[in-house]
Amino acid sequence: MSAIASDLPRVIDTGLRPRNRRLLSLARRKPLAAGAGLVLVVVCVVALFAPVLAPFDPNEVQLGSRLLSPSSEHWLGTDEFGRDVLSRIMHGARVSLAAGLGAAGLGTAAGVVFGLLGGYIGGFVDLAIQRVMDALMALPPIILLMVLATVLSPSLQNVVFAIAIFVMPSASRVVRGAVLAEKEMVYVLAAQSIGASPKRVMVRHVLPNTMAPIIILASIAVGSAIIIEAALGFLGLSVRPPAATWGTMLNTGAQTYMEQAPWLAVAPGLAIGVTVFSINLLGDGLRDILDPRLRGSRG
Amino acid sequence: MREYAIRRLAGAAVVVALVSIIVFILMHLLPGDALLTKLGETGRIPEDQMDELRAKMGIDDPLYVQYFRWVGDIFDGSMGESLIYDGREVSGRIMDAAPVTLELGLLAMAAAMVIGVPLGVIAAIRQDGPIDYLCQAIALTGLSVPSFLIGLLVIIYGTLHFGYRPPREYIGLTEDPIGNLKQMAIPVLILGYGLAASIMRMTRSTVLETLRQDYTRTARAKGLAARVVVWRHVLRNALIPVVTMAGNQAAFILSGALIIEILFIMPGLGQLTYTAIIQRDYTQVQGNALVVAAIVVLVNLVVDLSYGLIDPRIRYG
Repeated sequence: MSAIASDLPRVIDTGLRPRNRRLLSLARRKPLAAGAGLVLVVVCVVALFAPVLAPFDPNEVQLGSRLLSPSSEHWLGTDEFGRDVLSRIMHGARVSLAAGLGAAGLGTAAGVVFGLLGGYIGGFVDLAIQRVMDALMALPPIILLMVLATVLSPSLQNVVFAIAIFVMPSASRVVRGAVLAEKEMVYVLAAQSIGASPKRVMVRHVLPNTMAPIIILASIAVGSAIIIEAALGFLGLSVRPPAATWGTMLNTGAQTYMEQAPWLAVAPGLAIGVTVFSINLLGDGLRDILDPRLRGSRG
Repeated sequence: MREYAIRRLAGAAVVVALVSIIVFILMHLLPGDALLTKLGETGRIPEDQMDELRAKMGIDDPLYVQYFRWVGDIFDGSMGESLIYDGREVSGRIMDAAPVTLELGLLAMAAAMVIGVPLGVIAAIRQDGPIDYLCQAIALTGLSVPSFLIGLLVIIYGTLHFGYRPPREYIGLTEDPIGNLKQMAIPVLILGYGLAASIMRMTRSTVLETLRQDYTRTARAKGLAARVVVWRHVLRNALIPVVTMAGNQAAFILSGALIIEILFIMPGLGQLTYTAIIQRDYTQVQGNALVVAAIVVLVNLVVDLSYGLIDPRIRYG
């Protein structure tokens, strides 16, 4: 009896260790991806705790300290209204991440639903879905988003919605392709023959087997969604000022005062570049692990 | 082949028709109508006169009537009239702007091929060596840093340190070809870089795959020099998917071109659309979106059809 009792903690331990060990071996096999993941964790923490971490109020106008170059007080300088650039970057991270994650999540989810329906049902439904997705894909993203951003008022919610519409078609295509392949598998026939409803077969059997390409696609979509939000902000079509977003920061002061205050463009630019670079690096790592056939390529 | 081409052509027509419906509906979701836009903030006139004007403009008709009138305008070549610029046809303004965008896009595509393919081949041959890692880092940066950001930085630091000035006035290709190309060089390279990045990655992975094929080993085994094998046997096969991918990037090239145009003040479709959106010139926005989408559909169609010419193994079913 006592032997079993003393064994108990070890049983619990071994239950946890493989996962830790897997994380460790992942970090060893893909050090770059792991490093990128770490950078992204930092960005997320900064975004979550921006109100606590930011040294200044991002929207506080101080006309006495306009366009100060980076110093020990204002690490990244100040903008044309004397607002602290670092604090604005930190708050901007919230918008960028929300737009990136929100739009990628929403767009991928919608794409999965349509791809699954089209691929599984086939026939006219499939054809109709495909053609609509083709039409959405034929509109260059910036035109589609410029139009959407004008139709919808520029709130974060609407920007996310607009970008999600751009993400959806490619997700739908990838999922449809994967579903068409999976549909021919014996396990689908088996599930159907024991009387599982089409909905059950789709959601419980086919969907889990198409997860690898979906995860890869979603991770890349986060990066492109952040870039697109920045592009919209740069054109002045994202969330309204004075709210700080990385793209809007590039639009307003950065262009007018670029000669006196280049940090106004460099700081948000670096924030976008480093974040998206890390996302892509992590996405590459995920792809190598989940889908070895696609190594190093970008569909 | 012919049957396939006809089927694809029909599909493309359906897609363009759907785009026109989507764009039309989007533009009519906007608050306010064309008359209010035309009058602007100041031009308030009595309610009954407004109704009369609306009837004259035809914007009190049901939406489907208006849609088919627009389709009629598309087929007679005018695409309707600009709301802001009286008497200017939408299609005329598009024809003025399109060459700039097409030139920018085509040159960027060419630059991307010239940069991306050799780098991809070198990276694949030197797999996992320092050169490979360097190429991959360059490519990943190109994918991660948006072109408008690079453009902005080039303008800032070019002005500060290298005496570069973004052009104030656009020089047309026909008035002064050399001046035009000089002006295009920097925007083309910036736009081409992002594209070169994806071409490089794609080339690298397809070359890696082809290097492992039996026919490559055979070519080496019969004594051909490594260089000959790579350029004659490997690259030919590896480039097929690269060409397809590059063609399918048409939507992204146009997207990138539109922003670069706005940044470098070039009078292309991007600038035209952006101004039209700011001015709420809906018929213009509608026409631009449709034309750009039609270009994308056409490019994709041509790529799909030429696929069989490049790769004789492909049979159209």
